Amino acid sequence: MTDKNRNNAAATAKAELPRRDFLVKSAALGGGLMLGMPLSGAAGAAEAATGADLTQWIAIHSDDTVVIRIARSELGQGSFTGLAQLVCEELECDWSKVRSEYADTNDHIRRNRIFGNMTTGGSRAIRDSQEYLRTAGAAAREMLVSAAATQWKVPASELTVERGVVTHAGTGRKARYGELVAAAAKLEVPKTPKLKNPADWKLIGTSPARFDIPEKTTGKQIFAADVRLPGLLHASIAQVPVFGGKLKSVGNVDAAKAMRGVKGVVEAEDWVAVVADNWWRANQALKVLTIEWDPAGNGDVSSESIKAFLRTGIDAKDPAIARKDGDAAQALAKAAKVIEAEYYAPFLNHATMEPQTATARLTDDKVEVWVGTQNGETSIAAASEASGVPLDKVYLYKMHAGGGFGRRGPFNEYVKQAIRIAQTLPAGTPVRLQWSREEDMQQGRYRPVSIVRLRAGLDDQGNWTAWEVRQSEQSVAAGVLTQFIKDGVDQIGVRVFSDSPYDVPNYTNEYVMRNTHVPPGPWRAVAHTNNPIARECFIDEICHAIGKDPVAFRRPLLAKKPKDLGVLDAVTKAAGWDKPLPKGVFRGVAVSDSYGSFSAAVVELSVRDGTVIDVKRVLVALDPGYVVHPDAVRAQIEGGAVWALSAAMHEEITIEKGRVVQTNFADYPILTLAQTPEVVPILVPSGGFWGGVGEPPFAAIPAALNNALFAATGKRVRSTPLKLHGFSYA
Amino acid sequence: MAFGSMCIGRTDRTRRRLLAAAASGAALYAVRVSAVDADPAKLSTAIRSAFGDRPIVQQRVNVELPTLAENGLVVPITVSVESPMTAADHVSRIQLFAERNNLAEIAAFELGPHNGIAKVSTRIRLAESQQILAIAETSDGRLWSGAARVEVTISGCG
Amino acid sequence: MAAASRIRMPERAKAGEIIEVRTLMFHPMESGFRLDNKGQPIPRHIVEDFTCSYAGAIVFRARLYPAVATNPYVVFHVRATVSDELLFRWTDDHGVVVTERLRLEVTPG
Repeated sequence: MTDKNRNNAAATAKAELPRRDFLVKSAALGGGLMLGMPLSGAAGAAEAATGADLTQWIAIHSDDTVVIRIARSELGQGSFTGLAQLVCEELECDWSKVRSEYADTNDHIRRNRIFGNMTTGGSRAIRDSQEYLRTAGAAAREMLVSAAATQWKVPASELTVERGVVTHAGTGRKARYGELVAAAAKLEVPKTPKLKNPADWKLIGTSPARFDIPEKTTGKQIFAADVRLPGLLHASIAQVPVFGGKLKSVGNVDAAKAMRGVKGVVEAEDWVAVVADNWWRANQALKVLTIEWDPAGNGDVSSESIKAFLRTGIDAKDPAIARKDGDAAQALAKAAKVIEAEYYAPFLNHATMEPQTATARLTDDKVEVWVGTQNGETSIAAASEASGVPLDKVYLYKMHAGGGFGRRGPFNEYVKQAIRIAQTLPAGTPVRLQWSREEDMQQGRYRPVSIVRLRAGLDDQGNWTAWEVRQSEQSVAAGVLTQFIKDGVDQIGVRVFSDSPYDVPNYTNEYVMRNTHVPPGPWRAVAHTNNPIARECFIDEICHAIGKDPVAFRRPLLAKKPKDLGVLDAVTKAAGWDKPLPKGVFRGVAVSDSYGSFSAAVVELSVRDGTVIDVKRVLVALDPGYVVHPDAVRAQIEGGAVWALSAAMHEEITIEKGRVVQTNFADYPILTLAQTPEVVPILVPSGGFWGGVGEPPFAAIPAALNNALFAATGKRVRSTPLKLHGFSYA
Repeated sequence: MAFGSMCIGRTDRTRRRLLAAAASGAALYAVRVSAVDADPAKLSTAIRSAFGDRPIVQQRVNVELPTLAENGLVVPITVSVESPMTAADHVSRIQLFAERNNLAEIAAFELGPHNGIAKVSTRIRLAESQQILAIAETSDGRLWSGAARVEVTISGCG
Repeated sequence: MAAASRIRMPERAKAGEIIEVRTLMFHPMESGFRLDNKGQPIPRHIVEDFTCSYAGAIVFRARLYPAVATNPYVVFHVRATVSDELLFRWTDDHGVVVTERLRLEVTPG
C-alpha cells in the first residue's frame, strides 16, 4: 500500500456519504447515466415512499412498476430480458410494467453478497441463476397473495393471480400488486415457494421485446466509453508491447506536456499514459513521447518460434493423460488402416467493438468506477485492491459493455490503470481511460495457439477401433485459473477430447502444456473454438478414407449419447441431408456439446474458381434443455455463426519481435455484413436440464465449414485462417 | 500467473460455519465438500498435526478478510485474539489454515506476553474462494478458533 | 534471498507501551505450485522462518508456508520494556539468512 493509498483509506474511513445524498447527486449528473446507478436494495426514501422490495431481486412500486435487479451483465445477449422473464414467470405480474436494472455492486458488498455470483461467462447467466430467480418470483407472489388474504380475511388458497392483480372469486375483490406491496414487504420471504411445472410456463419460452435493444438501436445507450462527467479528463495509454516487459525510459515529456489540453503524463512499471482535456489530445501527446521498453528477454519471439515450441510438445515423451479408455497404442498397432492428421490453431483477439475503457474518480471518502464488465465483483475487487480503499467505499457503476466475449471477465487491468491515473490528479477529478484500438489489438488476452495430432485405427470392416489425440497447446488455465489444472492437464483445454461423446473402444487423450509469453484468455467458447475443428474435421477425414457418409458414420458412434444424436438428427433433417443438393453446392456437418448444451451444424457452400467461397446457409441445431427467450437464443446462434465464419476465414494474431503484429481491423479483418450468409437456427430444447446458449452455437460451425470446403474442393485445410490457404469469401 | 477461482458457477449458499457447533476436535470440522475437489482430510490432517486432537472452542479469535479478492494473489488478513497477554495468561500460538489451497497450512505465529496484544497481520494467497481458519493456543493449553470467508472473483471462462 | 527488507516501527516508546512493528522482506515466495512454460512445477523457494528478538529473547516467530504472498509482510506488536535493538531474522529454504537491526529507545512511562 502506498502512502497515498493509505491516506485515501484513512480518509475514507472517516466519513461516509449518505447513500441518499449520493443518489441525488448522481442523478443530477445526467439522466443518461442513471442506467449505471440503479436505485437498489436499501436505497433511499424516495423509493420506499412509492413501493418496496419483496426480495433483493424484486421491487414493486405503488404504480405497479416491477423492477427486477440483474446481477449478471448485459453484453448484448439479452440477460436483462431473459433473467427478468424467469422472475416474472413465477411472479405473475404484468410484463408491460417490468423493467430491469443492475443490482448495485456496492450494496451487494454491504449486504454480504446478497446478489450472489455476478459472473457473466461460461454461458452461465441463465442456467446458474434460473433456480433462485424463479424462486424469488414465486416467493414474492406468495407474499402478495398472503397480504391480500390477510387484508380480506379469506384463505390464500381461494385467491388467484393474473397480470399483477390478486382476485378473490367468492367476493369479487381485486387488488393490484402496487396496492399490496407495502403490506407484503413486511412478511417473511417464503424459503421454498412452489414453482410452476415447466409445462405451465407462459412467459418463459416466448420472446417479449428486449429491454436493451431500443436504446442500442437509437444510439441512446450509454456504454462505458460514453461516460461523461463534469470536469472529466481523458487518458490514452501505451503499454509495454512485448508482454512481460518493463518501461525503461520516457523522453520528450516536456514537449508532450506543452501540447494543448494536456494535463499530465503518468508513468508506471509497464505503461505510460497521457491525461488531457479530451481523448484525442491525450492520444496525440502520447505519440509525441519517445518511449523505451525493456523486452525482458522476449524480444526475439516470433510466430515461427512459437510454432516450433508447440511442436516440441507433439514429440514430447511422457505427456499428461486427460482420458484413457482401453489401449489405443496396441489397437493402433493392430489396425488395418491408420489415419493421421495434425491441426493448428492461431492466436485470436476478442477485438470487442468498444475498446477497454474505465472511468475512475477518487475523493476523500470513496472510489467510483464506471466500467463495462462481465463480473461486477471482479471489477470492484480490482478497484479496491488498486486504490487500497475498502470494498464498502468503492462504488462500481456497471455500464453496458460494448462486447465482452471473455475479455472483460477475469481481466481488469484497465480499471486498475484508471485508478492509478486518478491517483495522480486532484481529488474528485474524474478520468476516463480509453485504450486506442491499436492498444486494444496489441494488448489482448488471446485465444491461445495449439497443435493437435490425431491418429485413428480402423479394422478391416471399417470400424473405428483406436484413437489417439495429442494436444500441444498454451493453457488458458495456467494464465488465469490455475485451479483448473489437475495432474498437468488444463481441464478446460482438453474439453471436446476428454469428454468426447464418440464411442471408440481404445482412446487416449494426451496433453502437453506449452505456454508462451503471450497472455492467454477465455475467447468466446474457449477450447470449443479450436478443438471441435480438429475432432470433427478429422472424423470427416476418416469418413472420406473409408468412403462413408459423415452422418451415417457418426450416428452409431453416438448411440449412447441421445442428446448429441438428437441435435445431429435435427440439423441433418432440417438441411435435407438425405436429399441431393443443387449442382455446385456442397455441405459439411459437425457435432459439439459444450457448456451444458448440445449443438450440431451443417454448412452449405459453393466454391468459385477453386478459392472463392460462397456460403449459402449455416444451419445450427441447439438443445439447451430449456429456451427462455427464443429470439435471443436465435440471435446467439446468428452471432455465433458470424464469429465462427469470421475466425475461420480472417482472424489470426501473429507475433514478431515478441509483440503482436496486427494493429487494427485493417490487418485483423472480421466478417462483413455482405459476407454473412443465411443462418438457420433450429431450437430443439428437450427439457430436464439447463444448458448455456452463448458459446455452444459457435462450436460446430467452423468444422462444418471446413468439411463442406473439402467436399467442394477436395482440399483438406488443417489450420485457420482459411485466407492463408488462398481462400476468400464471395 | 494468477491464482483464481469461480468458473465452477457455484451459487451462493448460506454461509456455513467452518466449525461444528460442538467444536470438540479437528475431526469435527465441517468443510464444504460439495464444491470441486474440496479435500476435508487435508485440512483436518493439518490441524491435527499442529494441535493434536484437543478440543477447539469457537470463540475469542477474530479473522478479518476482505469480502472479495480480485485474483487471490495478495489478500490482506488480520487475526486477533482476546487475551490479556500476561505471563500467566497469553496467546502462545496462532496458526492459519486454508480450506481449499494446495496446502492447508498458511502460517504459524508464536507469541507471548512480550507482544502486549495478540494481533498479527500478513498477506496471503488463495487459490480460490474459501474460508480461512485461525486457531489460537493459549498458555493454559486450550485452543480457540475463528474463521472468515473470502470470495476470489476471477472468472470468465467455462 | 535478496537482502532487502523494509521495517516500520517507532524509534522511541514509553515503557509499557505496545508498539506496532511492520516488516516486509523482498522475496519471490515461489510456491512450488506454479508451472513453467512446459507445464512443469517451478521449484519451491520461500522464506520459511522469521523471528524478532528483543531484550534477550525471541518475542515473535512466524513460520511461513507457500500461501504467504510474494514479499512476505508480517505485522505484529511488541511491548516496550528497555532500550535495546530489535533483531529481525529471515531464513529461506535455500538456507539464506538475512538479519536487520533497529533500535528502540524506551523512556520511563
